[in-house]
Amino acid sequence: MCAAQRYLFVWDFVIQVELPVPILKCYFPLRHGATEGKTVTLLIPNATVTSVSGCISVGMKLHEKILTHYLSCTSPVDKEGYLYKKKARNATYQRRWFVLKANLLFYQERPGDRHLLGVIVLEGCAVRRPESDGQFGFSLVFEGPGLKTYRFAAGDRHTQESWVKALLSASHCYLSLLVRDLGRQYEEAKQQQGSGESCHSSSVSALKSPTSFFLPVQGPTAEVREGRSLSASTVLQAPTKVVARKSPKLWHRRNAHVTPLNGPAPLYGEWPLVGFDPLEEFSKLHDYYGQEVKKARDEWLRSRQAQEERSDGDLINLG
Amino acid sequence: MRFNEKELVSLSRQPSEKAAELGMRGPKKGDVVKKRLVKLVVNFLFYFRIDEEEPIGALLLEQCRVEREDSQTFSIAFLDEAERKYLFECDSEEQCGEWVDAIIKASYEFMRKNLIFYRTEIHRLTGKDPLEQYGISDETRFQDCFTIKMTLFKENQPKTSEHLV
Repeated sequence: MCAAQRYLFVWDFVIQVELPVPILKCYFPLRHGATEGKTVTLLIPNATVTSVSGCISVGMKLHEKILTHYLSCTSPVDKEGYLYKKKARNATYQRRWFVLKANLLFYQERPGDRHLLGVIVLEGCAVRRPESDGQFGFSLVFEGPGLKTYRFAAGDRHTQESWVKALLSASHCYLSLLVRDLGRQYEEAKQQQGSGESCHSSSVSALKSPTSFFLPVQGPTAEVREGRSLSASTVLQAPTKVVARKSPKLWHRRNAHVTPLNGPAPLYGEWPLVGFDPLEEFSKLHDYYGQEVKKARDEWLRSRQAQEERSDGDLINLG
Repeated sequence: MRFNEKELVSLSRQPSEKAAELGMRGPKKGDVVKKRLVKLVVNFLFYFRIDEEEPIGALLLEQCRVEREDSQTFSIAFLDEAERKYLFECDSEEQCGEWVDAIIKASYEFMRKNLIFYRTEIHRLTGKDPLEQYGISDETRFQDCFTIKMTLFKENQPKTSEHLV
């Protein structure tokens, strides 16, 4: 009978068998989140086995159900679409449906497939564009010895750029820095409001730095905060701005306090009259936004007049 | 389901503010308390056998409920299965409270909500969108639900480029 099995979970197992047996049964867990172990039967004919040692690599368990549940829950998906993913071994590309949610990039064959092929946890990776730009490609490079690079190709430039941009701001680390930064700006804005100063937050401008994120630039009034200085390697590059100038007519709601958060944010230069106190100068705001309304109204009146002149002859002749 | 295991293991070995030996018990009937090194890194809870370098497992801390069970024990329930909880036994009331707090705040969704709040408030107070300077103001992940619906609506308008095979 199979006797004492000294079983080390992590890397190796040793089975000592006291009696000669032709069959050994050994049990080891599977990689990649399997909940059940696998029983393997080894046939060793006519052998007296006294000990067997072997090496199994046992993987870390990622509780898949938790991930798939998160994917299907009501919180919004950050981005999804088809991309081509390069196979590690033979350098062919396979089209997959990708879903980005938080710092997780899921992929499956088609949208709506119940079976998920895999997930990539987006921490500790850099998003890179390839030097030769023929294929609308980009890659996720995990930094560290023996760590992977995932290669992708998009169908067109627009898709490539929007994925790169989305992935650049996907990591938990990035969000964490952003929240901390905004939290500080919020506190400062509250204080400045409280002391009755104008709306300009001077320390906000101290942070403007097109090439480096969150590297604190010490302005004259900014205090040195603990824990804010970061090494360059943890700083993500600012995605290049490709924001088109949008006509104000395309904004579906116009309100100086709410606009950018309920529609695409207009470029900084399009912000009219920012920097004054809207509560005191509402008439200015009213006049400014009213210009467009006035123009539209005048046009409508003119076209209506033209219509009336034309339609005089079209009235039903009852006579 | 495949996942980038090596990269996750590498992540689990990053320094973490919250790492401690706790008694951990799984959610299944018959699971017993085992001493584990529990480590919070980003929105994952890794757990290791004591003195081992690589974690046994990783729990994603999203869509979960963290609760205090008693003065020194907290639980995490996933999948809307309130009865199936992972239990963690701490050494003190204070430690228990700190862990509950840290886990809640580690959730990506929690951080996203905070971000949206700050963004809205800063704009209300200053008239400026604080994300503008970082060039990320139209990323859907930083919008509130209303804007997301509008953005998705726009993105789903038929575009010829998406029909390429």
